[in-house]
Amino acid sequence: MKQLRKNINRVALFLCALFVLLAAWGAYSLNTYGNRWFSSSANTFARSRKKDVTAGDILDRSGVVLATTVDGQRVYQGEAAARRATVHVVGDSGYNVNNSAESFFATYLYGFDMSFLERLSFAIRGEQRRGDTVKLTIDSRLETYIASIFPSGKAGAVVVMNYQTGEVLAEQSFPTFDPQYISASVKSDPQKPFYNRAVQGLYTPGSTFKMVTAASVIQHFSDYAARQFQCDGVLQLGNRVITDAGTNLSENKITRHGALSLQRAFQVSCNNAFAQAALQLGDLRLKKTAEDLGFNDNFLFRDLVVENSSYPTLNRTDGEIAWTGAGQSALTASPLHMCMIASAIANKGVMMEPRLLLSATAPNGTQRTGFSTREYRRPLTAAQAEVLKEYMRAVVTGGTGTAANIPGTNVCGKTGSAEIDGQEFTNAWFVGFMDESASPYALSIVVENAGGGGSVAAPMAKKIFTWMLKNGYIQ
Amino acid sequence: MNENKKSRPHVPGRGTLLAEMVFFFLGFFLLALKDGKWESFVLSVAVPAIIYVGTAGISHLFPSDRLLLSLTNFLCALGVLVLYRLSPSRGMSQAVNYGVGVGCMMLCAMLVRFVRNWKWLTVLIMAGSVGLLALPLLFGRETNGAKNWVSLGSYSFQPSEVVKLALLVSVSYLLSQRKPLIAIGFGGVCLLMLMLQKDLGTALLYFGVVFVLLYAATGSIPLVIGGVLGGAGAAVMGYQMFAHVKRRVAIWLNPWADTEGAGYQIVQSLIAIVNGGAWGVGLGLGNAQVIPEYYNDFIFSVILHEFGVVFGLVVLCMYLFIIIRAVMIARRSRTVFHALLATGCASMLALQTFVIIGGNIKLIPLTGVTLPFISYGGTSMLCSLCVVGLLQGVASLAKAGIQEDRELAMQGGEAP
Repeated sequence: MKQLRKNINRVALFLCALFVLLAAWGAYSLNTYGNRWFSSSANTFARSRKKDVTAGDILDRSGVVLATTVDGQRVYQGEAAARRATVHVVGDSGYNVNNSAESFFATYLYGFDMSFLERLSFAIRGEQRRGDTVKLTIDSRLETYIASIFPSGKAGAVVVMNYQTGEVLAEQSFPTFDPQYISASVKSDPQKPFYNRAVQGLYTPGSTFKMVTAASVIQHFSDYAARQFQCDGVLQLGNRVITDAGTNLSENKITRHGALSLQRAFQVSCNNAFAQAALQLGDLRLKKTAEDLGFNDNFLFRDLVVENSSYPTLNRTDGEIAWTGAGQSALTASPLHMCMIASAIANKGVMMEPRLLLSATAPNGTQRTGFSTREYRRPLTAAQAEVLKEYMRAVVTGGTGTAANIPGTNVCGKTGSAEIDGQEFTNAWFVGFMDESASPYALSIVVENAGGGGSVAAPMAKKIFTWMLKNGYIQ
Repeated sequence: MNENKKSRPHVPGRGTLLAEMVFFFLGFFLLALKDGKWESFVLSVAVPAIIYVGTAGISHLFPSDRLLLSLTNFLCALGVLVLYRLSPSRGMSQAVNYGVGVGCMMLCAMLVRFVRNWKWLTVLIMAGSVGLLALPLLFGRETNGAKNWVSLGSYSFQPSEVVKLALLVSVSYLLSQRKPLIAIGFGGVCLLMLMLQKDLGTALLYFGVVFVLLYAATGSIPLVIGGVLGGAGAAVMGYQMFAHVKRRVAIWLNPWADTEGAGYQIVQSLIAIVNGGAWGVGLGLGNAQVIPEYYNDFIFSVILHEFGVVFGLVVLCMYLFIIIRAVMIARRSRTVFHALLATGCASMLALQTFVIIGGNIKLIPLTGVTLPFISYGGTSMLCSLCVVGLLQGVASLAKAGIQEDRELAMQGGEAP
């Protein structure tokens, strides 16, 4: 009987533990994901509640009104070009864009965070409740400019952010649409204009991933500067063949780089050298660096929902590992994540959490709090970041990215031309930043099915940075 | 006399009972003011009346655990209230289930109190269980992937719920008679038949309860390891064998992949919870009807939606107190059979609550078991109350025993 009671005690402990687990999980998941559940477009309850509240305005960083409410109707202000350029961040009243400001900041816009006293004061005055005015970090003029230089008819994305604070100045997806007049052709467009490619688009990063592979080599091999890689143009690994841009085996055209240092290989974006680097590192070490830089992480940023990037884990043959080193294989990343990686290199190895919300102000002038900048993680040491920065500078001064060079400004970057099955041309990438303490801005550009990163995306980077320098983006 | 007073266990007084009755009177009265139907007014008097009978009435009949009674009654009445608010017809029939359930609870308590020879009864119960479990396989109809309901004319019930009680009684008895092999065999047969009905949520409960009882009776560590391994093996096998299990696991891993289709239910449940926030949207003001099966599998999400997370935690604590109280009854009981029976009741209630609430908040994949006392459904309500009845029976015996000891001690005798 005594032993039995002892056993019953243990059973009781186990049963109590189950309940503690329930409460702990509930608290954790509500705290972590609650805002996302709430902002989901599937939330019909919040939508019905919104009828009782006049939605607050959405402004850009300089106070330009992007969305306002007139007689209960949501109105997207400004010229059509500006509306179209900002729509993926701002959203539309039909919630066609996922996790846009219109739905993700509903807590503020519709006054769900209003205190009891505030609600009471509206009730006493007999007015309809009004939500907070939300100020975003984006610059609608910059976005309008970017939209004007983006190749017409192409799909893709552009992200511009301040690498010291994480504030996102532009987050754009193409093709775009006008939230004020959504036509039927927009809904049926096969290029899916509602889709926000900047954060939802999972692209093969292509050669821009060489930033990660190079970082891994620098982290794991102390003799990285002295290492030589031999590029013979073609490397056969099982059923996979590693080749370089310009190689066409059926026409017997082969690009060969010969012996290369890591910096030179980065500068000319040699696939063979990076394939060898990946094989020398091994899958585990490369994966470690990639994960430090945010791959396979569950991104839980406060202001924006970013699709998770993935480092492949299945079918890791030598051929796949080699192609991973060159940015192909089954790697996926969003343009915003690639911009964060460049930002970490620019910002002495510190990766900032991307921010979209500058402030939220109640109708009576009260500032809501909690919008401080925050470090996301420190994936690199300052010394490692410095080496990578030099490599990226070399790309722009004498490598694949010379089209991005701006005399008098230290532009650094990495091009990418990602091969996608079934596409005529490669996806053109440019990821880079200005290494100027007065202009701490990084960007990431993808143009789908458009050609080489050096010829299509790098010139766009030059135009965007030049525009920014001309328009007061010098602190 | 003084000593006698000191050692009397604390029982919740009239205050608790009164508060409960006022709470539900106001709840139904509020709904009555809103809809103005006479049924609502009737319920605002009838439900507090059932609570009174179920708490104070029972403890007049025989010594019983009043805290356990008042908690149970609170949860049952809460179920009626929430169901009535969402779907008046379901609420009305749940109120009837509740009333009948209180009667069944008394019967079960009496059964434990007065039956002295369980041997033949156990044999009868075991045979009956196997027969009952065979019914759905022969005449059942399939709902939500499982084939676990039997219809008798317009009336339908779930044999696996009734067999729960039989399982508790017979396994506890067999283990108390040191016949673990027969107990395992019987549990295994029941499990197998449930697997054939594809009622895996209930199978999980059966497994858990038999396993806990085996551990309590033997205290063997290899058994624990074997049980965990066996459970894991069965889970993997179930996953491989049944398409609907695979589907549910996939939905659990990422319901957001298809918020309008497969993931709709759990997504709406999570959204309903977060809409409720800490203090809830208020009784009668929510829209939790958008969750499919809101009255059954997802009733807890409805409670969180309308009453808030804080209240949800209070409800969770009530379940926890019921479990703790049941374990205390087990510890106080004077025979191995009764101790095991009470332990089994505690673990049945605890596991069932965990499995369904865990499913509601996406801690584990959703399985179609009911939330004890609250979910809509006659069989479920009756069986949950019968489990409490068994507990009350054990408690009353222990109390009677303690009373006897005390009297003997006062006469100068010795406690047996």
